[in-house]
Parts: sequence; structure tokens; C-alpha cells
Amino acid sequence: MKTNQPPEDNDPLRKTLLRWEVSTSLPPRFEERVWERISRATPHGESSVLGVLRKWLETALPRPAIAASYVAILLLGGVAMGYWRGQEKAGQWRHELASRYVQSVDPYQALASKK
Amino acid sequence: MRPAILVLTLGLALAGAAYCGFYFLASAPGRALMDSPTPELAWLKKEFNLTDREFTRISQLHSAYQPKCEEMCSRISAKNAELKELLAQTNALTPEIESKLAEASQLRLECQRSMLKHFIEVGQTMPPQQAKRYLAWVEVRTFLPDYGMKSQ
Repeated sequence: MKTNQPPEDNDPLRKTLLRWEVSTSLPPRFEERVWERISRATPHGESSVLGVLRKWLETALPRPAIAASYVAILLLGGVAMGYWRGQEKAGQWRHELASRYVQSVDPYQALASKK
Repeated sequence: MRPAILVLTLGLALAGAAYCGFYFLASAPGRALMDSPTPELAWLKKEFNLTDREFTRISQLHSAYQPKCEEMCSRISAKNAELKELLAQTNALTPEIESKLAEASQLRLECQRSMLKHFIEVGQTMPPQQAKRYLAWVEVRTFLPDYGMKSQ
């Protein structure tokens, strides 16, 4: 097993690196920005919750039983909501038509509806 | 992640399709009524389980009653305008106002008599049970309103 031993003095890479001089200056607030990027890249509480959820979805949802249950629940929900809203809309129309019938036979209500 | 996204999308798409399909299905009878040439009479036919023959007869009665109803509307409107004008001229109960109120009451009586005659004619076209239900329903909504005094 290799250890982190200092390279030999005659190593050409080491010689080149020792000769290398950085001539350009760092941009302003370089260090601060580096720390900001590190901070952003570190997982926080909220993102780890999302991570857990994501992981759960990745592992659980593709399982046939869970996938079938999920699809069935959404399907039933869609059926129930659609039927309920459709019935409600039909009821609104019936109520509106009943009022329109009354307005068509009662002059007082016909006048009131025109105001 | 791809299978999970696929299942998620499939579930949502099926739920959306089921919602639209069942909404359309459940609201279809109401939509059919709204799309008919005379929606309020189509509603009456459905509500009181009328046969085509009864419906035709009721449609004829309704058409015959419409001009009378419109004439009554014009008279009521004119009478209301006259009364409003008199009321604007004074803040006392003058003999003219009293006379106009009596005329308005007379007009209401005439209107109610005409309506009731029409309702009875319509009811006579229906089977007895439905006629009874129709008369009770229409009378409460026209000249026997409870003005919200009865508890719901």
C-alpha cells in the first residue's frame, strides 16, 4: 500500500510546479464566494426531506403493488370527483331552468329578473 | 427515477381522464335540457315525467299563455312607473296614491287569476299525481311565497 510520501526532488512535475508562478490576481470576494457555494451545496433540513421523499418514490413507487394501489386510488378519486361535480352542475342547471320556467309564467318574477 | 415518474404521470393522467369522463357523464342530462329548443319546458317534462303527448299539449298551452303574460308584464311595468312618479312628488299618502295602489292590487289580482287558470290547465294535462305536485310546486313559487318565513 502506498503512503503519502513526499515526492523525490528530481520528480519533473515537482520541479515544474516549483517554477510555476501565478501572475493573475484573484477576483474580488473570491474566498467568500467559494464558501457560499460550499454552503449551497451542503444538504439542509428541507432538501433532505425532499431527498427522503424522492428516495422513497424511487424505491417504493415502481413496486407493482404500490404502483397499482396508487393508480387505483387516483382513478377512484377522479371518478368520484368527476361524478360529484357533474351531478352538482346538473343540479345547478335544473335549478336555473326551474327559475326560468317560473319567470316565464309569472309576470312579476319576469320583471324582477329583468332588473 | 424513470419508472417512478412513469407511474406518477400515469396515475395523474388516469385520474384526469376519469374526472373529465364522469363529469361529462353525470352532467349529460342537465346539458341535454339546456341544449333543447325550450329548456324550461324540457325541464318541466323531465321533472314531472310527462309523455310526449302531454308535453306537446303543455307546450301549446305555454305558447298560448305567453302573449297574455307579456301584456301583463307591460301593464305592471306601466303601473309601477305611475306609482313611482306619484311617490316621488310627495311624502304623504294622497288619494291619488291610494287610488294607484288599488289599481296595482287589482292588476295583481287579475294577473294571479290568469296565472292560476294557466296552472290549472297545465295540471289537467298531467297525470293526477303529477298535477297535484305541479300545482303545489308552482303555486308556492308564484303567488303563495312564504318569504322565507317557513324554516327550511
